[in-house]
Amino acid sequence: MDYEQEIRMFKTMSRIRTLEDILEKLFREGRLNGHLHTYHGQEAIATGVMEALSEKDIIFSNHRNHGHFLARGTSPISIISECYGKVTGTNKGRSGSMYLSDKKRGMAVASGVVGGNICVATGSALASQIKEDKAVTVSFFGDGATNIGFFHESLNMAAIWNLPIIYICENNHYGAATKKEEHQKIKRISERAAAYGMPGFTIDGTDVIKVYKKTKQAVEKARNGWGPVLIEFLVYRLRGHSAGDLGVYRPEGEQDEWKELHDPIKKYKKELIEKKIINLKEIKKIEVEAQKEINKAVNFALNSDFPTADTVSEYVYQEEKANE
Amino acid sequence: MSKCTYLEALKKALYEEMYRDENVIAYGEDITRYGFGVNKGLVDKFGKERIRNTPISEGAIIGTAVGAAMRGMRPVVEIMFADFIMVGMDQILNQAAKISYLSNGEWSVPMVIRTPEGSRWFGGGAQHSQTVHSMFINIPGIKIVTPSDANDAKGLLKSAIRDNNPVLFFEHKQLYFKECEVPEEEYLLPLGKASIKREGNDITVVATSWMVAHCLNVAEELKNRVDIEVIDPRTLRPLDKETIINSVKKTGRLLVVDESPVTGGIHAEIISAVTEKEDTFRCIKCPPKRIGSLDTPIPFSESLEREVIPTKEKIKKEIMNIFSKQTYK
Repeated sequence: MDYEQEIRMFKTMSRIRTLEDILEKLFREGRLNGHLHTYHGQEAIATGVMEALSEKDIIFSNHRNHGHFLARGTSPISIISECYGKVTGTNKGRSGSMYLSDKKRGMAVASGVVGGNICVATGSALASQIKEDKAVTVSFFGDGATNIGFFHESLNMAAIWNLPIIYICENNHYGAATKKEEHQKIKRISERAAAYGMPGFTIDGTDVIKVYKKTKQAVEKARNGWGPVLIEFLVYRLRGHSAGDLGVYRPEGEQDEWKELHDPIKKYKKELIEKKIINLKEIKKIEVEAQKEINKAVNFALNSDFPTADTVSEYVYQEEKANE
Repeated sequence: MSKCTYLEALKKALYEEMYRDENVIAYGEDITRYGFGVNKGLVDKFGKERIRNTPISEGAIIGTAVGAAMRGMRPVVEIMFADFIMVGMDQILNQAAKISYLSNGEWSVPMVIRTPEGSRWFGGGAQHSQTVHSMFINIPGIKIVTPSDANDAKGLLKSAIRDNNPVLFFEHKQLYFKECEVPEEEYLLPLGKASIKREGNDITVVATSWMVAHCLNVAEELKNRVDIEVIDPRTLRPLDKETIINSVKKTGRLLVVDESPVTGGIHAEIISAVTEKEDTFRCIKCPPKRIGSLDTPIPFSESLEREVIPTKEKIKKEIMNIFSKQTYK
């Protein structure tokens, strides 16, 4: 891990936090429509995972996807524009926040149905195995998604066929408003890996270096034919399920405790300063730059056009083009 | 031309397409060793990498096909009985059908789901005999094919595999061992083009899948009394409304025969396509009729099953009824 890499990761985490802060504010002011699921508290996962991937790898994300896309290199302009339903958005206004897509960067259409694309991601890994293209597929989902049948069917099939896929469970301890203890009996989600005959790990998801290292190891193994892995990253949603949800169903003090002790950005800042990689002044500069970048992106989105009505039926069906 | 069964025609189509394009892969439950056998024998030629048996996991079979298709494969997956397709319904409705649209055509899903449907197969009963294709009519973003003979089965399956969209390909169990003349040389049949199976001037009978054979038999039996035109839409999405409308303009009468339960079935969609058009509406000489399965599950006993599904006798009776009503203009 070199200095540049560490600073890059901090920048990414900082940009994600700023993006989500601003989107949340816009939503609460009634300026954004739709469903908005922010990534507060989980920034280290997207950042560490994307840092461990190569350009040809493929990522399947979920409803809580802004962090995944930003960390992969999708511009805040296109993410925010999409949240506004503008033609300059990642999906030209067809998706809104939940189903972002960016094929150039290997980002598949994210799924708004919880656990809905775990099988689809598994199919991507099947294609890689047959084509022998050495690409690894990553499937992101939360703790709630591990109770849906598609999770079970996918992990079983990937294990039998030894597919090059990393299943990443961002265990933020709540499936929407239901606490993990109420939605599954097992303590560690990674225990489920054994049931399919694949390795499973539980890692602190608020530590970006640990996220990066574990993912890197799993990706290299998958790329070299060792098959699938399930990684559970322990993390906490520092917000409600969506921007309209204040999370009042959670025990008093729980969120404050995590915020105090396990905010991934706060932790990483401290670590970077201790390691003398960066000083407070430089950190401030990064944060101000992120603020500027995101504000600029909001203005760009606001000044962009909505898609025109005559395009509404385009691409319901494909004509000539297919995936190469 | 040579005689070929529907089953052999499907196998040949799959063989030709797998030979032509190495991205075509096929998998499903027990496909190399059990069931009707469309995929049987292909593994010897194309190997275990491209022809796979899967666990009993319809969600993963359909879902992985979506993902593999997004990555450049052309999966042709099999669902053992059409009734089981509902286990993976979410993957069709929320993934396969949405991906091209949501990504503005950046990602596409060129996949085929093949599955046998329909009744009268050794008493499959309520969960092995349903005709489910009408339920998918309501999903923009997918195509639906219902071939009625070996010739169509081959040409349509080849087109379905080359199509860049998710295609649901409903085969009929009653047809697998029926033969017809099939060209020796390679051919494709376009999706979205109906076939006029028999020309006639008195009534347009639109029939799908196994029902086409029934309607052709009835047309032959009644030929001295009524001149029946039989149209097979071949694909229900896209639906070739034009061929049907032109036929009704000529005959002035319409009967739709499809094995789906009649409520909410494709029958109503076809009748609407004809009656909602001002000029066609004015050509209609009597109320359009539909024959489907009764609104009950498919029962096991043959005496009950016969009662539920459309039969040749029911079709004949309905046509006779239409022509016995002299009150219509």
